[in-house]
Amino acid sequence: MNYNNVGIVGIPPLAIIQELNRHNITIHDLDTPMIKADMELTTPYLPRVYCAILRTVVLNALHLTLDAIYIDVGPGKCDCALHVATVLEDMFAIPILTTINDDITGFGTPISQSRMGLLQKFERITEGVKNTIMPSEPPPACTPTAGFWGVPPRDFSILDLFPDTTHIYGWTRCMENKTPADHELELDYNPDIPTVFYAQSFCAKTALARHLALKHPHGLYLDSDVTAGGSAKAKIQAFLELSGVKL
Amino acid sequence: MILGDFGTSYSKFLDLSSARPKPHIIPSKELGTEHRVTIATGHNGKRFTDWYVNELTVLARGGEQLIAEDAFVLLDCGSRDIKFIHYLNGRLNDMGWNSECGASMGFTIELLQRYYDLDYHELPLPVRPFSVTCGVLGMSRIFDAVVSGTPDSEAVARFVMGIAINAYRFAGSPTKLYLSGGLCDNPLFVKSIPCEVIPLGRFVLLKGLEAIASQAGK
Repeated sequence: MNYNNVGIVGIPPLAIIQELNRHNITIHDLDTPMIKADMELTTPYLPRVYCAILRTVVLNALHLTLDAIYIDVGPGKCDCALHVATVLEDMFAIPILTTINDDITGFGTPISQSRMGLLQKFERITEGVKNTIMPSEPPPACTPTAGFWGVPPRDFSILDLFPDTTHIYGWTRCMENKTPADHELELDYNPDIPTVFYAQSFCAKTALARHLALKHPHGLYLDSDVTAGGSAKAKIQAFLELSGVKL
Repeated sequence: MILGDFGTSYSKFLDLSSARPKPHIIPSKELGTEHRVTIATGHNGKRFTDWYVNELTVLARGGEQLIAEDAFVLLDCGSRDIKFIHYLNGRLNDMGWNSECGASMGFTIELLQRYYDLDYHELPLPVRPFSVTCGVLGMSRIFDAVVSGTPDSEAVARFVMGIAINAYRFAGSPTKLYLSGGLCDNPLFVKSIPCEVIPLGRFVLLKGLEAIASQAGK
C-alpha cells in the first residue's frame, strides 16, 4: 500500500482498517466536519437538499490531499454513499474504493452505556473507527436516565443538552460495536427511558427514527440538517425537562 | 418580579410584584434596555434577561395551568413560527416546533390585513383554501389569484384558511385544539381550523412563566 493519507466514508471492514493501521497510513474520517469551509462549495457536485454527512464528505475531500478514499456502500452505510462514490470517482483522480462491511464480531458497547458527557462519548466512538483495538479498560455501565438513538449528528452541539447518564442506541451503538450492518442492534432501544430518536434530515434513516419514536412509550423524533437550529435544541431541552430528566 | 414573553412582533409583560398583576403588550420594535425582565421566553428574549426558558417548555407549563384535561393538544401560532405540545395521560406525548415551513405565518396574516385594508372579523369563511405551506410561499398564491380576477378579500381569506389547515395538520390533526397566540383574536383563522377550537388568548406563555416562577420560589 503506497498511501500516506486515506479518507474513509462510513465504516469500512475491520480488515481494511487493520491493513491501513499496519502500514501506518493516516486515516481521515470524512464523515466528520474537518474543514471550516462553506458547505455551498459542494453544490456543484451534490444537491443542496441532501444528507449533510455526505455533503461533508465531499467538502472534506475537496480540501484534503488524499491518496485514496474507502467508502462503505453496504447495508451498514446507505444507498446514497454508493451514489456519492460515483460522484467522487468523477471528481478526483485517486482510487475510490467501495467496500461492503458485513463484519459480525462485536467489540462491545461500553462507551454507549457509560456515564460520560454525551458529546465526549460520541467523540470517542467516532474516533474509534480509525483503529481496531479492543478498549483495554472499558468504562463501567451506568443506570440510564435518557436515551439517544441514531447516527452521530453533523452538528455535535445538540449532544451538550443531554445528561451524562444518556445511553446511546441505534447506528452509533453499531458503530462502537464495529458491526455497522447489525440491523437487530440498530433497532434496539430502552422503552423505560425518555429517548430522542435522531436522524440527519434527508437520510433514509428518518423513516426508522420516526417509526421507533412512535413505538417508544416516551420517544421524540428529531432531525436536523447541517446545523441544528434553535428549535431543534429547544425541542430536546423541553422534551428532557418535561419528561423529568435531571440535567 | 417581571416576566416577559418576547415575541417577534409583540412582547408581553407581567409584573408579579404589582398589586393586581395584569399583562400588557408592546410592539417588539419598541423594545429598549428598560425592558429587562426576571424571566423571559420568546424569540427575542435572551437579550433581555439572565434567566431564559425556551418557548416549548413555557408553552407546556402554560397549558398545564390553563387546561384541566390530562389529554390535550395546545398549538401556539406566533408571528414567525408555530409550535405545539400534546399531552396524554397527564404527561408529554409529543411536541413540535416549526420555524421553517411554518415561517412568518402570523406576520404575513397581519401584513396582508394592513396592505389590503381588511377586517378579519368581517371576512366570510371561504369555500376552499389555498394549498400553502408557509406565509412566504403563500403570498404568490394570493397575487396569482388577484391577477386572475379573484377579489382581494377572497384571496386573502383562502390564504388564511390554508395557513390554518396547515397549522392544524402540523399539530397532528386533533379533534379538539387549544389555541394560543395573537391569532386567537382572528375569527377567520379560528373558524378555518377544521376541528373544535378553544382559544386561550395571547398570554399562555406568560402563564407558563408564572408557573415556572412559582415553582422556583418553592
